[in-house]
Amino acid sequence: MAEKLIPITLKVNGREYKVEVKPNETLLFVLRNKLNIKSVKGSCYRGECGVCTVLLNGKPVKSCLVLAVEADGAEITTLEGLAPFGTLAPIQKAFLEHGAFQCGFCTSGFILTAHWLLTHNPDATEEEIKEAISGLICRCTGYKQIIEAIKAAAKYYKQDKQKQ
Amino acid sequence: MAVSKSVIVFHTLLPEFEYFRPKTLQEALELLDKYQGDAKVMAGGTGLLFFMRLRWMQAKYVIDIKGIKELHTIKYEEGKGLTVGATVTLSELFENEIVKNKYPILWDGIRQLADMHIRNRATLVGNLCFGMPSADTAPALLTLKAKLNVVSVNGTRTIELKDFFKGEGKTALKPNEMVTSVFIPEPPEGAKGRYLKFVRTADDGPIMGIAVLVANPRDPAKRIVRIAFSNVVSTPIIIDEVEELFKQDKPLGELAEEAIKLIKSKVTPKSDVRGSRELREHLMEYGTRYLLKTLIEG
Repeated sequence: MAEKLIPITLKVNGREYKVEVKPNETLLFVLRNKLNIKSVKGSCYRGECGVCTVLLNGKPVKSCLVLAVEADGAEITTLEGLAPFGTLAPIQKAFLEHGAFQCGFCTSGFILTAHWLLTHNPDATEEEIKEAISGLICRCTGYKQIIEAIKAAAKYYKQDKQKQ
Repeated sequence: MAVSKSVIVFHTLLPEFEYFRPKTLQEALELLDKYQGDAKVMAGGTGLLFFMRLRWMQAKYVIDIKGIKELHTIKYEEGKGLTVGATVTLSELFENEIVKNKYPILWDGIRQLADMHIRNRATLVGNLCFGMPSADTAPALLTLKAKLNVVSVNGTRTIELKDFFKGEGKTALKPNEMVTSVFIPEPPEGAKGRYLKFVRTADDGPIMGIAVLVANPRDPAKRIVRIAFSNVVSTPIIIDEVEELFKQDKPLGELAEEAIKLIKSKVTPKSDVRGSRELREHLMEYGTRYLLKTLIEG
């Protein structure tokens, strides 16, 4: 079957990209290989590990189980979109301060998920944090530091909410 | 949708296929009728893309129904029931106040299904349409006596959920049919329910699951008890006789033990990589007793 290329528009981190994709290319593949956004990682390629997490129209999803053509016209946020180049978002600082990573491979997924959780629910309890990150796998830190980092970052998000 | 399981081969790329995104239901049905078994309907894609990646499922044509607006509806009619469209995601249902308050047994099933990232894409109808015995929402929906609204170019029909599952990966759907919505009748008055899922690790599929629905346990005339299981045999299964059994005017403890005996005589669990027949038999007994006790006393 000759596969035709489908032109799509993706709005990634506020910038518009026009790309041509094959139907069987996933969002993960297109972000990494065509748009060169390397914070999005691929590991299990079947929705188990969560290292490919992106925010698709504001919600965390695993981009290995989303076709690029499905995301046509969607707004996508990756780790690069959280803070301007050269600076760190509060959640990233909290991860650094608490040593919430060792190899760092899974970190972009955790940070994006934590960012989504705290923007929507800055008062998240430990149970809610655990529930939110239950679809993500970290093989180094054992999650304790990650949960502590997310708890510590919550205060910045509370301040942000009060300002609004 | 037949699933042929072979050795797991690691594929990072999906097989090639043609992609359609119809805007109307009619358009989707015509495509489905034209390509029959070669086409697969995709809603969330978390199931289909997973199976296609593992090459357990083949599709030359993928029909994405997310563009069809009428399928993305949640409608609740007081006293009648809830209708959930085919593209409503599990997260949307999980956050829905009506599902949380009126259908706690279904809410409990959704809570334990995969993780938040997957639930943001996956749909309730999709969870049922793969015909997997391990579908986490199926036992809850079986106890609620849900019905599926099915449509094809030839017309519409309604299938009772308990007649829908036809074996592992098989359903009563014809190749040119698709499910547009699931109708969940209003639960019996005063109904409480829970879904208990046994797993090896948090990211694994279930060893098995039990859904128990209890209404008015102290009043034999109005008492309703329904019990359903996932991943015990080749389909999700409800034990109809349990409801009759609990109509008797006997002490509840006695009835619970009789129900467990009845379930054991009706169901011979399977053995697979997640658990042996003996383990499943034990969990069926333990889980049923535990849920009945907590729901009746609590």
